[in-house]
Amino acid sequence: MSITLTQGAIEALYKGLPIKNPLLQLLNIRQMTSNSGLPRFRLMMSDGQHALSSFLLTTQLNHLPEQKLLVQHCICMLKKVVTSTLADGRTAVTVMDMEVVQSAEETGGRIGNPTPYNRDGQMSSPAKKSSATLEPDSSSATAPGPSYRSTSFSRSNAAQSSPTNSPMKVSPMKDTNSPMKFSPAKDTNSPMKFSPAKDTNSPMKSSPAKDTNSPMKASSSSPMKVFPISTLNPYQSKWTIRARVTNKSNVRQWSNSRGEGKLFSFEVVDESGEIKITAFNNEVDKFFSLLEQGKVYYISKATLKVANKQYSTLKNDYEMTLHAHSSIVPCEDNQSIPTMNCNFVQIEELENRDKDAIIDVIGICKKAEDVSRITTKNSREVSKRALHLIDSSGKEVTATLWGEEAEKFDGSGQPVVAIKGARLSDFGGRSLSALFSSTIMVNPDIPEAFRLRAWYDREGYAVNSQSLTERRSTNSGSRMNWKTLSDVKNENMGHEDKAEYFSCLATVVYMRKENCLYQACPSADCNKKVIIQHNGLYRCEKCNREFSDFKYRFLLSANLADFGDNQWVTCFQETAEVLLGHSAQTLGQLRETDEAAFDEVFQKANFRTHIFKNRVKLETYNDESRVKVTVMEVLPVDHREYSRRLLSNIRRLAC
Amino acid sequence: MAGIIDVPKPRINCSMLLQHINQAVCFVCRVSKVHPSGKTFTAVDGEGKTVTVELNCCLEEELSGVVEVIGLVSNKGVLMAATYNLLREDRGTPFDLELYNEALKVIHDFPQHYPFEAAVSG
Repeated sequence: MSITLTQGAIEALYKGLPIKNPLLQLLNIRQMTSNSGLPRFRLMMSDGQHALSSFLLTTQLNHLPEQKLLVQHCICMLKKVVTSTLADGRTAVTVMDMEVVQSAEETGGRIGNPTPYNRDGQMSSPAKKSSATLEPDSSSATAPGPSYRSTSFSRSNAAQSSPTNSPMKVSPMKDTNSPMKFSPAKDTNSPMKFSPAKDTNSPMKSSPAKDTNSPMKASSSSPMKVFPISTLNPYQSKWTIRARVTNKSNVRQWSNSRGEGKLFSFEVVDESGEIKITAFNNEVDKFFSLLEQGKVYYISKATLKVANKQYSTLKNDYEMTLHAHSSIVPCEDNQSIPTMNCNFVQIEELENRDKDAIIDVIGICKKAEDVSRITTKNSREVSKRALHLIDSSGKEVTATLWGEEAEKFDGSGQPVVAIKGARLSDFGGRSLSALFSSTIMVNPDIPEAFRLRAWYDREGYAVNSQSLTERRSTNSGSRMNWKTLSDVKNENMGHEDKAEYFSCLATVVYMRKENCLYQACPSADCNKKVIIQHNGLYRCEKCNREFSDFKYRFLLSANLADFGDNQWVTCFQETAEVLLGHSAQTLGQLRETDEAAFDEVFQKANFRTHIFKNRVKLETYNDESRVKVTVMEVLPVDHREYSRRLLSNIRRLAC
Repeated sequence: MAGIIDVPKPRINCSMLLQHINQAVCFVCRVSKVHPSGKTFTAVDGEGKTVTVELNCCLEEELSGVVEVIGLVSNKGVLMAATYNLLREDRGTPFDLELYNEALKVIHDFPQHYPFEAAVSG
């Protein structure tokens, strides 16, 4: 029985593309000694087509070669690898977990005739190599201060910097001279420690630049390593992280009893985790313009402290504050740093999460409501916009954006929207609210977004989705208890103690013109009917006052019909204004001045079809019980959505 | 073709053309390419399949968007248009051809509830 190697795996691994458990043949294994004395193994693997020597075995797996399990020509399954790009542009593939699936004896030799693989798929030439290594030179020369690069360069060994060293062919000499410093303490730590970031300290980092940077040697008294974010804690002082900025706030001013100033914060991510970083005053001036969302930076020398979870939603116990000596240097090689560390929760799943939980969500923005402005409790005016997100669970949820995010959001074309760090609220069932710290991404370039788009275009658009957010007074099409008018009667709706709510698509077939308006108390929140006094004034019993004036309000009785039945309903002010298209005041004046025009308003509004959201309740007057239907909201018919609902109902009933 | 206006015209899509040879049909489709001669054009239905439409006279207007064609299906499955009607999309909601196709399938899947063709069979 022969095993087939996973063709193309070398290329995929090299480029950092996801590939599941590829089968590769080991062509060569070399032991490198590090200064700590702990051996490290470098592997040359082949997929039958290409061979790549840039594989590093994590030290946890050193027992495999040491017990002669991992020997030349055996076939291995790589279960977990991390591909990282080194500072000088070369790529290392760190093997975190692997399994030998066929021994060397069984395999019996080299499979195929693999050629060395490099970035362009060509054989590397020394000339090409040297030009490639020149690139970091220039950038490091411009890097200010004691940057990560300069210090690590100065640590390097001259023997390594031979420009003839190609990534494919590493001379043994170089390996034995590797400056890798694995302190024993570090090795006892979690596997996270061996993330690719650390491999930037591997011998592969050799570059002539090191020598040109020798003036920087003075600052290299402390060796600098690239740490994974997840391993940072306040008890370390010498560290550097390499991370991508995922979210950057605007500069905010603060002022309190202790003084005033300004600050901004940003969040960074690497493959191990994320952390929030805050900068104050001078550091705002220094770093605000340098940092750009989406770019990768080396960051070192900042103060770590326990995170204030009240202001931070990141999954990290600590956060950083920049100080005068902090260093932030742009990093050009950023392929290996994830763009966003999202842990998306299915919308369906939101029902089971706790209130106030901070979650990441991704969905199709089925509908975006218009921006509205509200006044907050501390009388600040703020814009808000509600989005209706749906995902492949077929559930919908309302997510609210605030401020600038709300204003600039463009919901046209039903984009994929991902919100990182939204707060789950139990307002109206379940809803989401974007926070100041949330990141909102429209059509992000991530696999989940493409999957969702494909799903929505194929079937999702027709799903008769149920929203987790129940809404009372906004113009949304979510969570409707659809009934036909005959259903309302047959199901005896409203006969319980509690009022029931239903929505229906119906046509206005009659409206009572007479008594559709009444004269109401003109004071702001009182809509009580006024009584005309003999002195020409209008008296409100509720306010116990007399007014010289009144305001008109609607109390419109209408008959609605659908294909099966009809129903008398009552429309108050807002709903009647929508039905008739005129305010109560104008219509009241029209009734007094121009009866023909008044009639025409009703003519026009008659036989119009709308979606009605209604409240139904059994009410008793003078021992006579009657089901009373009150219109809560009148909405325009979305014919496409209505058709889709009918179609899916037909299909469901036909089953 | 004189009588085509008076007979029932089932609504069909491309996949149903062959079952309706020599019958009058109503075909809603999106114009994809008009032949330079102006006498024929190709169009796609709600399933993305292509149909060829032949006109009995030359086009006098620019044709694009969704059209409703009334015509006979030829032996080759070509739609011989007697008349057509451009569905304007420049105002209000655009015509959703895919959704129309779903409705059309319902009509054909449940003919007992949509007895539009009674006159033809009778």
